[in-house]
Amino acid sequence: MQSEIDEIRQIEAEAAPARFARGWHCLGLTRDFGDGKPHAVHAFGQKLVVFRGGDGRINVLDGYCRHMGGDLSQGEVKGDEIACPFHDWRWGGDGRCKKVPYSKRAPRLARTATWTTLEQDGMLFLWNDPERNPPPPEQAIPRIEGATSDEWTDWHWYTTVVNTNCREIIDNVVDMAHFFYIHGSLPTHFKNIFEGHVATQYMNGEGRPDIGDPGESKLLGTTSVASYFGPSFMIDDLTYHYEDADHKTILINCHYPIDANSFVLQYGIIVKKSDALPGDAALQTAIGLGDFVKMGFEQDVEIWKNKARIDNPLLCEEGPVYQLRRWYQQFYVDAADVQPDMTDRFEYELDTTSPNEEWMKVVEANLAAKSAAGTT
Amino acid sequence: MAVRSDNRLADFPMVPVACSRCGACVLARKSSWNQTTVQWNAEASAACLERRDAQDLAAHSGRGLFLACSALSGSIHDAVRSGDLAVVDESVRVTT
Repeated sequence: MQSEIDEIRQIEAEAAPARFARGWHCLGLTRDFGDGKPHAVHAFGQKLVVFRGGDGRINVLDGYCRHMGGDLSQGEVKGDEIACPFHDWRWGGDGRCKKVPYSKRAPRLARTATWTTLEQDGMLFLWNDPERNPPPPEQAIPRIEGATSDEWTDWHWYTTVVNTNCREIIDNVVDMAHFFYIHGSLPTHFKNIFEGHVATQYMNGEGRPDIGDPGESKLLGTTSVASYFGPSFMIDDLTYHYEDADHKTILINCHYPIDANSFVLQYGIIVKKSDALPGDAALQTAIGLGDFVKMGFEQDVEIWKNKARIDNPLLCEEGPVYQLRRWYQQFYVDAADVQPDMTDRFEYELDTTSPNEEWMKVVEANLAAKSAAGTT
Repeated sequence: MAVRSDNRLADFPMVPVACSRCGACVLARKSSWNQTTVQWNAEASAACLERRDAQDLAAHSGRGLFLACSALSGSIHDAVRSGDLAVVDESVRVTT
């Protein structure tokens, strides 16, 4: 029975959190930051300066000089340090003032904010932690073998700004239906696993006969194992099964927040070279697949730009949005406040290939037998 | 930013299922014949033998993803067959 007057369901949403996630964030490709010049990056509600010092290390510091507030990203790299364009104060990667050229003494105790960095597989990572603890080793970003191998292409990389809170892109992990509507695949086996700091989406899909395939020969299907390692960096082992050959690819999907209401979305692809895909053909495939992925993300972005933030989505029997958000919340609380239910293993599986009809008959027979025996 | 609870579980909660191999007790729910949800806790994760095997191999295989415990999947199937774990779709069909 329905109540006589149906209540209007309200969309509820708190403001996006002012705090930024604890975890490794990829800022982009090392090649774009490692040229010995200072680079400005707007992230975590601040302006940062990124530079490679003479010692070869890439450093990330708060963008403004503690002396008189000069913009370090407009400065110059001198030796291992960044020099402020205002009074030439020199700041080291450890956040200490190393030298004030016109003064005998530098304020050695004062420190500016720094971020731990990591260069790995052609990408530059930064560890963000509001509590300023060092990165735990178990949350290290896994290595991507193909990224440093001649048997794979170089990164084909995209960067774009999205004007919404980054929770929207996280929600995609559980949104199976949108892969059909937006990304043109037909999932036959879909599984989410959340455990510890890793959230995985495992998906087998078949090609959609009704839409164009990303390639020249017939696409039979795809196998995708995509995991977020922490709050923002996803590695997707994505294989395209064609009639004549398998194309192995790695797709990175990562972001970093600019502020509470915008983020930089980046994605990159490498493709394994093979007899079917020698050098140039692999590169063309990377570009072709990259553009295909780009199309998908552009459709996502179009939705995000116009949608409402919603804390109480109205769900039927579909993906585990609430459980994903419970997992995601671990990155927004102090490490000591991470609750077991945020990190305990959770599985959500949809397998449309199992022979349901036959199985159902067995179950019904069992239940009928039970009922006849008076046990239910 | 408190995370809300899943209203679907209030209507049709998860049910404890024990694994016939190691005894690990998890919470399970099936919304349809094709769909299965499993909530583990630390105790169950520590007890699972297949998981332990997978962890031993993890250092040598890819990124060490443990996809599923086949013994537990079997136990969940058994719970459905025996009627201990009802399937939401089928139950709704019966009661409406």
